Amino acid sequence: MIVGLERADDAGVYRISEDLALIQTVDFFTPIVDDPYWFGQIAAANALSDIYAMGGEPKTAMNLVGFPIKQMDLSILRQILAGGLDKMKEAGVALVGGHSIEDGELKYGLSVTGFVHPKRVLTKRGMKPGDRLVLTKPLGTGVINTALKGGLASADVIDKVIRLMATLNRDAATVMARFPIHACTDVTGFGLLGHLAEMVVGTGYGVVLRTADIPILPEAIEYAGYGLLPAGAFKNREFRTALVECTPGIDPLIQDLLFDPQTSGGLLICIGEENADRLLEGLVKKNATESKIIGEVVAEPKEKIVLK
Amino acid sequence: MKEIDARGLSCPAPVLQTKAVVEQEKADAVRVVVDTAASQQNVKRFLESQGFETALEKQGGDYVVVGNCTASPQKKEPPKPQSEGNIDLKKIMVMCATDRIGFGDDELGLKLMVNFIRTLKEMGPELWRLVFVNNGVKLTIDGSEVLADLKGFEETGLCILVCGTCLDHFNLLERKQVGETTNMLDIVTAMQLADKVISI
Repeated sequence: MIVGLERADDAGVYRISEDLALIQTVDFFTPIVDDPYWFGQIAAANALSDIYAMGGEPKTAMNLVGFPIKQMDLSILRQILAGGLDKMKEAGVALVGGHSIEDGELKYGLSVTGFVHPKRVLTKRGMKPGDRLVLTKPLGTGVINTALKGGLASADVIDKVIRLMATLNRDAATVMARFPIHACTDVTGFGLLGHLAEMVVGTGYGVVLRTADIPILPEAIEYAGYGLLPAGAFKNREFRTALVECTPGIDPLIQDLLFDPQTSGGLLICIGEENADRLLEGLVKKNATESKIIGEVVAEPKEKIVLK
Repeated sequence: MKEIDARGLSCPAPVLQTKAVVEQEKADAVRVVVDTAASQQNVKRFLESQGFETALEKQGGDYVVVGNCTASPQKKEPPKPQSEGNIDLKKIMVMCATDRIGFGDDELGLKLMVNFIRTLKEMGPELWRLVFVNNGVKLTIDGSEVLADLKGFEETGLCILVCGTCLDHFNLLERKQVGETTNMLDIVTAMQLADKVISI
């Protein structure tokens, strides 16, 4: 066992031989967008992301479905599964089976199995002072999903965010594989600061983030100003607030957005300073979503995240 | 003072309820009771965005926001389900199934295509989707003469879709430099939503 339950990581990793390890992960959730086909794509992209965050390649997947068969037309389920399957095809993943149950609330996701070389496994552990932090998708999907739920999001924004959430982290992972990476995770339900906190705690090092460099969807900033932050953002903040030191003058709205729970968010990559610019260059060239260097690892203050 | 009880509701419902009262009843003084600190923060932000001055209170286990409208000129329009500025804009979808225009002289065809892509920007914001299929996908890979132009389009927010099956067929998946990889269902949906589809 290379990565198991003893420290929470994105997926479990089990070594099969000298040069092959198995990565396993599972993720499913309730619909966040109205369109079943896109929901299928997003749920699949989200589930596949954990494999990419571990430095691996997804190979096979199984569908997990909870469906209210008495209230909903079966064609909806078909569209969800078609969306999921298209995403798996794009990722080069074979669908090998699945399981469905009758459920009062619709749920969909995947159990995914991938491969990685045992020496190329990326975990949340391994940051060193001087390292740079790179984020590969803009933040704000939680706020926009809340606006969508409230019927306040414009059609253009919904379209943009749906595409963002359905974008695989594969391209970013392919670029990342060419460099020595110290640590990696993907940004999901705990928000940027929540997931970054998991990378920081226990290392003895701290992180300085330059808030002006963090990519955030402009509409998310606008909507958050109208009070459309999801409750999850507040929970995330409450849980990790002791770790975060905020320089005076930073808009509290931006602080809150750094805790915004993300669906199928980007990779958060920790890389040595000497390689950071080349990694970013590769990401900007290859990756369809916005990538930025957002901060660096520091020796002091220990186990704190400083927002500048 | 208008009382709003939004206890037992989760985000964004308390904000929506407050918004309805403020907009429909033109209330200029409200007292909103919610049962989580998260809802309190959100309601406070909403009221402040509408030009209210707010004060926070605790009431037993509940949270209260008191808002008084000071008729601030900074009142912002709340987000609308449809972006109004775009309501009259047509959605034009351009589908390129080839990397050159017309038949006859291939060299000329290629030159025309480069010129076509560059001139597309004259459509302005009505250009909504640019889709590449079959040989058209070759315009999106490294070495393409219009790569910089397409990247420029993408930066202005234009959605460029590139057929994944086609890239795969030509073995170009790794060489695509611009746009999102897409599939036929997405293309068909885009055609349905578009006001005009131009096929090259």
